[in-house]
Amino acid sequence: MSCEEDIRQNTIRQFDFLKDFFKVIRPRRLSAEVARDRFSEVFDFLVHQEKFNILCTITGTDEGDDLGFIYHLAREGGITLNLKTRAPKSDPVIRTITAVFPGAEIYEREIVDLFGAKVQGLRKGNRYPLTDDWPADEHPLRKDWKPANGSGGEM
Amino acid sequence: MNALFLILIFPGFLFLALFGLFAEFIDRKLYARMQNRQGPPWFQPLADFIKLLGKEDIVPDEANVRMFRLMPLFALTAVVSSIIYIPLWKTGALYSFSGDLVVVLYLLTLPTLTFFIGGWYSTSLYARIGSVRSLTQMFAYEVPLFMGLFSPALLADSWTLSDISRFYIDHPMYCFFNLIGFGVALVALLGKLEKAPFDIPEAETEIVAGTFTEYSGRLYAFFRLAIDIEMVVGASLLAAVFLPFGLKDEAAIGFLIYILKVVLVVFLLTLARTIFARLRIDQMVRFCWKYLVPLALLQLLIVLFLKGVLLQ
Amino acid sequence: MHNSHEHEHEFKIPLGPQHPALKEPESFSIALKGEKILGVDIRLGYNHRGIEKACEERTFLQDVYLLERICGICSHSHSTAYVQAVEEIAGLAVPPRALYIRTLIGELERVHSHFLWLGVAGHEIGFDTLLMYTWRDREIVMDLLAQLTGNRVNYGINTIGGVRRDIAPEQGKDILAGVATLEERTKYYIQIATEETTIIKRLSGVGIISKEDALRLGAVGPTARASGVDRDIRREDPYAAYAELDFDVITDDHCDVYGRTVVRLKELMESFKIIRQIVARIPDGPIAVRAPRKIPAGEAFSRYEAPRGEDVHYVKSNGGEKPERVKVRAPTLANVQTVKHMLKDRFLADMPIVVAAIDPCFSCTDRMVGIRRLDGEKKEILGWESLRSFSLGWHRARGFDVTIAEKRLHQLMEH
Repeated sequence: MSCEEDIRQNTIRQFDFLKDFFKVIRPRRLSAEVARDRFSEVFDFLVHQEKFNILCTITGTDEGDDLGFIYHLAREGGITLNLKTRAPKSDPVIRTITAVFPGAEIYEREIVDLFGAKVQGLRKGNRYPLTDDWPADEHPLRKDWKPANGSGGEM
Repeated sequence: MNALFLILIFPGFLFLALFGLFAEFIDRKLYARMQNRQGPPWFQPLADFIKLLGKEDIVPDEANVRMFRLMPLFALTAVVSSIIYIPLWKTGALYSFSGDLVVVLYLLTLPTLTFFIGGWYSTSLYARIGSVRSLTQMFAYEVPLFMGLFSPALLADSWTLSDISRFYIDHPMYCFFNLIGFGVALVALLGKLEKAPFDIPEAETEIVAGTFTEYSGRLYAFFRLAIDIEMVVGASLLAAVFLPFGLKDEAAIGFLIYILKVVLVVFLLTLARTIFARLRIDQMVRFCWKYLVPLALLQLLIVLFLKGVLLQ
Repeated sequence: MHNSHEHEHEFKIPLGPQHPALKEPESFSIALKGEKILGVDIRLGYNHRGIEKACEERTFLQDVYLLERICGICSHSHSTAYVQAVEEIAGLAVPPRALYIRTLIGELERVHSHFLWLGVAGHEIGFDTLLMYTWRDREIVMDLLAQLTGNRVNYGINTIGGVRRDIAPEQGKDILAGVATLEERTKYYIQIATEETTIIKRLSGVGIISKEDALRLGAVGPTARASGVDRDIRREDPYAAYAELDFDVITDDHCDVYGRTVVRLKELMESFKIIRQIVARIPDGPIAVRAPRKIPAGEAFSRYEAPRGEDVHYVKSNGGEKPERVKVRAPTLANVQTVKHMLKDRFLADMPIVVAAIDPCFSCTDRMVGIRRLDGEKKEILGWESLRSFSLGWHRARGFDVTIAEKRLHQLMEH
């Protein structure tokens, strides 16, 4: 059995509910989707037990009523896993992962600025990448934000 | 009238200014050629100077205006007046008195102090760091420079530059005993002129332009001119005590040889600038005390030994 | 009381957004005590121009060119990472010849980027001679790239489904000749970097980051490999033609700026090796397959070993002509976090070289794009050759000797 399939089996054995949501897309590419309230344990399991010890980046997406978050994790052998979770726009709160990956700080700030997510436990610091005078309620990468109606945009 | 001519025209301000700009051209051209570049045309330093003269003088709001404006002039005056005591192409200088070597060294210390004061009173952070660095650096290179120049004086038994050069005319081969001293003084001169690897006080990539960050227009032009002249005067001083050749010949040939000697020293300075990276201030200070000072001491021991044993 | 006295000697000095040490606007605010650095506060984002948003408003094909302009130095990295992702979603089988050409351009880009870095590093430590030498030699690879792709920086060679220009067999000879010269020069620079006292003094022991810290902070590329992290996407997650090529991953355990210099220089030698293999083995065949206008719904995650480290792109399609989401993570964003650690308790004088040693590319980091609308003015469009002869004429009019450059121009024009 391939290494990718091993990881899938191990994870499903631990977390039964992932059965239909953990996929092997192609060699070295895995994808998993997990609900926000179970995210932390799955994340910890993958990082510590399955040795996904590299964080490539965090991608934010606009999924209509929800915000999507994709944690691109990687491990030895070039295997990467897109670990997805969601949070409703009305309550866009996720927990920080800077305790595990200190380098994730800047990726989380990016999601805060560009998608308007709220990251619990993220230490105070400079914002990134928008300017200091950018309005706090405008998040350019949300689909309903258009450069014309945003105060910062000029086309 | 004659004195005024000596001070303002030849070999004073005008000659030195032109020679300084020429030396800057030599320095820049050699530097460029050694780096595989075209380099500037011969009039570039003069053009830069004239351009700067036409630019606006900007004085920072918080700067001490009087100090800020006076310092470039102080630097210029100090370096121009020191040339009077240095023998250029004759055995004697224009004026000389017992102990003028010390006075020249003192006058050559002044520009560094004006860099410090000018930088400090311009109140910019970069300028302040730069000015503190120039002062720190001064304490490192000044001692080896003095000791390096001390050895020919010791050999000639005189503190007067004209007497030293007269002594070497009679004993031209003696100058080879001072080769180590020449090397030490040359390296120390690099520090005095704040050129790489000792351009720490104006390290561009760290503190923008160091001391000169806030200077612009005429004031900056005078500072630059003062540094150019300092290079010529420093090279002349080294040439006078370490390279005492051709002083007895007639004026025209002597003058030519003098120019060549200065160009040689400038070339050596440029060579160092080309092949070394900039040191850190702590490395620079350590280098001066750990290597230059012992070398200068060794030179003094050699001279004392020679005087005691061989030249009885 | 004691504390307030201590603080009197501390002050903050701004390095940037505009500063001679930085070629791009980013701000480092450094708390200093004398010459010692107490702490560094980094503010990024000065180059942010919303390129990810702009991607969502353009077609998949237009985005190739937009993303290529994220950065002038690693433009090929970004466009390749992006087209790889789109090709994976669309299920396109890219012809092997196209993959080899992509790899070739990618390695030439690595060569020019590492040469550029070496020059910048020399400048940062006040050794401008190295800058002048390396940038002169870099022209060889820039000319090769111009000859192969038509451009010096934004090559425009990638397209979805393959590449846009083929390589003629004669060009292979030019590449080998250029590589031979560059290899000689690289050997010389390796000798300089490992033997010149002032360089070693300024580089070794500076900007130390341990293997553990490099892993913890997610460092990538030469920065990580110089701390003993044996990781290279070209080997671990092979893309383009790398699976068929033979090369070594260079690591070093100096953990400092010196180590990073050595890693980059040795990587140059590996790149020459790879380029030679490509020229020798490049398969015949078509160079592109037709890509559909609409890309089927799906997503892909693409990794690319750029000269500065791992560059990742994530592309999501909703089945239309335009992507739903394009995410770019440039290597510098991963590496910039390590700078704070490297600078702790170091000297101010080390700051420029430590920052430069991660080979920062803040344009990549902030994913900027410069689109300037040309106003109604009449603009003359000059080709590469006419630009070059214009430049030669300009210099000749000012009395410079340009015969060598002219000879080379004629040689190139004959091709």
